[in-house]
Amino acid sequence: MATSESSGSQINSIEKRVVLAAILFAAGCMAMLAYGTWGLGITVPTCVPDAKNFDHGSVAKLANKNYELHYLASMWKFEPTRVLVPAGSTLDIYVTSKDVTHGLQILGTNVNLMAVPGAITSSRVHFDKPGVYTIVCHEYCGAAHQNMSAAIEVSDKVADISAEGLAELGEGRKIAEDQGCLACHSLDGSTGIGPTFKGLWGQTVQLTDGTPRKVDEAFVREKIQNPDSNHVKGFEPVMPKLPITDEEIKQIEEFLKGLQ
Amino acid sequence: MLGSYHGVLQTLFRAGVIRGSSFAGIEYYQGLTAHGVINALVLTTFFAVALGHALVSQELQEPLTIFGSTLSMVVMLLGAAMAAAAILAGKATVLYTFYPPLKAHPAFYLGLAIFIVGSWVALYCWIPAYLRWRKNNPGKKTPLAVVGMFAAFIIWQIATLPVAFEVLVLLVPWSLGWTSGVNVVLSRTLFWFFGHPLVYFWLLPTYVLYYTMLPRLAGGKLYSDFAGRMTFVSLIVLSSPLGLHHQFADPGISSSWKGIQGALTLLIAVPSMLTAFTLAASLEFAARQNGGRGLFAWWKKVPYFDRERWLFPYLFCGLVIFLFGGITGIVNASYSMDNIVHNTAWLPAHFHLTVAGPVFLGILGMSLFLITGLLKKPVVSQSMALAIPYVWMAGTFIFSGGLFLGGLRGEPRRTNLGLTYMNPASPSYRPDWWITTHVGMVGGLIMGTAILLYFVVLIRSLVAAPVAVRAGEPLIPLSEAYHDENIPAVRNFAPWVTVAVLLVVLAYYVPISDILKSKFKPAPGYHPDSPVVAGITR
Repeated sequence: MATSESSGSQINSIEKRVVLAAILFAAGCMAMLAYGTWGLGITVPTCVPDAKNFDHGSVAKLANKNYELHYLASMWKFEPTRVLVPAGSTLDIYVTSKDVTHGLQILGTNVNLMAVPGAITSSRVHFDKPGVYTIVCHEYCGAAHQNMSAAIEVSDKVADISAEGLAELGEGRKIAEDQGCLACHSLDGSTGIGPTFKGLWGQTVQLTDGTPRKVDEAFVREKIQNPDSNHVKGFEPVMPKLPITDEEIKQIEEFLKGLQ
Repeated sequence: MLGSYHGVLQTLFRAGVIRGSSFAGIEYYQGLTAHGVINALVLTTFFAVALGHALVSQELQEPLTIFGSTLSMVVMLLGAAMAAAAILAGKATVLYTFYPPLKAHPAFYLGLAIFIVGSWVALYCWIPAYLRWRKNNPGKKTPLAVVGMFAAFIIWQIATLPVAFEVLVLLVPWSLGWTSGVNVVLSRTLFWFFGHPLVYFWLLPTYVLYYTMLPRLAGGKLYSDFAGRMTFVSLIVLSSPLGLHHQFADPGISSSWKGIQGALTLLIAVPSMLTAFTLAASLEFAARQNGGRGLFAWWKKVPYFDRERWLFPYLFCGLVIFLFGGITGIVNASYSMDNIVHNTAWLPAHFHLTVAGPVFLGILGMSLFLITGLLKKPVVSQSMALAIPYVWMAGTFIFSGGLFLGGLRGEPRRTNLGLTYMNPASPSYRPDWWITTHVGMVGGLIMGTAILLYFVVLIRSLVAAPVAVRAGEPLIPLSEAYHDENIPAVRNFAPWVTVAVLLVVLAYYVPISDILKSKFKPAPGYHPDSPVVAGITR
């Protein structure tokens, strides 16, 4: 065998064959992936532009054995914690985070999602086999990350979905939603047409005539029953009068107290 | 040392042998942050800069400015010290990926940014030397080792720009309280825009050792000089437009673009396969020079256990490990398969066969080689030095074996399993993960043993009496090439860098503009130990 060769400007023919083989291998992998994606319908999460941001977990029935699950990941739990569905169900899973980036993987399935605050990740999964499917958070999210898990139980003994660990929305919150209060008063700290409800309870606000008022039971009652009084500086006097009962006002007060 | 200690500790926590949130004053996730930052960012970059200084000055025979190389070292040390201080003080327990909205102390982010800028300074020292060499040596091929180190740092320069933006423009002001929120999807995308070419920055210095040192150590020549150049320039082009494959499970990015970048990722296997062939051919050439015969029997004539050539197994074992690292990398890149493996223990199993395989062994072996060579010390002992890569290889295969299987069973990565999943008293207890976490632990302990042996050798060598070095021999003996082709296409960086930049723009323009158009709400920061927004006092 020669000790050295200067092959001039020619690429060694064996090398050409090796590079070709490598390219064919890569092409073969791509073909298999194409089959997996378009043939078998296995995909990864994509943009869901029409999904609205949500701030609590929920389950909803779309049709028989077709459900929509909204998972809220937060430090350090999933909401809902446990969901029970009949065997043969198809679940549309949407996940977001209330605080930092979490992960959501349903072990034993293809559902593997990142829960990012401000964005929604989605996947569809079908369950035929009964059993308990563990959900783990697999993205470090702080000191109690290892405590964060949930479960989906699939049973052939139930006919409809049920869920545990959903936050109690509470009557006051529901009233605020139904009566349209949330159209002007946000829950997340951002200023809208009216001041945000977050942290409002107990604050001292400035009225347009200069007097300070504490946001307590009396103030809230006065504003709801007579919205044209006690105008708060910096906001337009456009709050409408709404048919809210005394009992409902009490529930709204409880709701505001919980929004510190 | 600090980095490796924390690595071994991780395996003990995960197996449930340690069932607490901290050990010896360091909390699990704090140790994990230290392990990642020290081993994967600081150690690898320092080594690349040092090897670059050594090879560029030796091969070009042009003096490097003392001011420049000292400045780069001082800046890198300063940056690393700042980040390390923040981590050890417990104010940066955010892991080496530092994903917002988890927020660390500004010193952590600034320290990392300063560290990276220091590494840029090293590259800027070499460029004038290289340009002078080109002027004085018209028509000559740039030495292969220099091509490789430059390729590594060109990739690094392209890759560090997005993360520098993320850190300096998005994260530092936010961590200082000057901005109230950060765009999480954009931050993640910029990080992984950096994070994939990062691994090629790690790998290329080791590839340089493979192409330029391994053949000579084996007693032969490099089968093809062209293969080396082709690999280096194609990695410049292919390493950056791929970051989305780390974000297959992320929101806010369309699956089409994830698929496009996933397909591009498969192409990057091609230069590595060419490398595997070339190195095997080089080893075969060497073996046959030394009496090897037959279709497979020539493998017996490779110098696995030659004390005088103790550096050889560091490179060879790295190659063996990398075979499995590469295959599992192809799995990770394979789009839909990521649904099974993403963020499970499979992932650290993969990267301990790549960065903790060939790259780390290259760092260990070459550091010992350079330190003893520069200080004119003997290696004490060569037998122990020879044994270390084999112990390490056994350790990594056992460790990764446990984590691959565990990951397929659902074990999450980055999780202190000992507190819950591996704690029999916890409702989350997973007895089916017992065997895989314990196999991982055994592997980790073996790896730790290899590190201990390494420090024994290093320290004994440093305290030994100096030896005479043969005059005229270069510090780093490099191989000749068997096929020494002159292919003009791979002799100029400019066209390849141009294509690399164009490809990066093509691959990232749409995903990033989509993210900006989506107007994701800026997220406030959180400290790892509290679910309340950081900085709000109630």
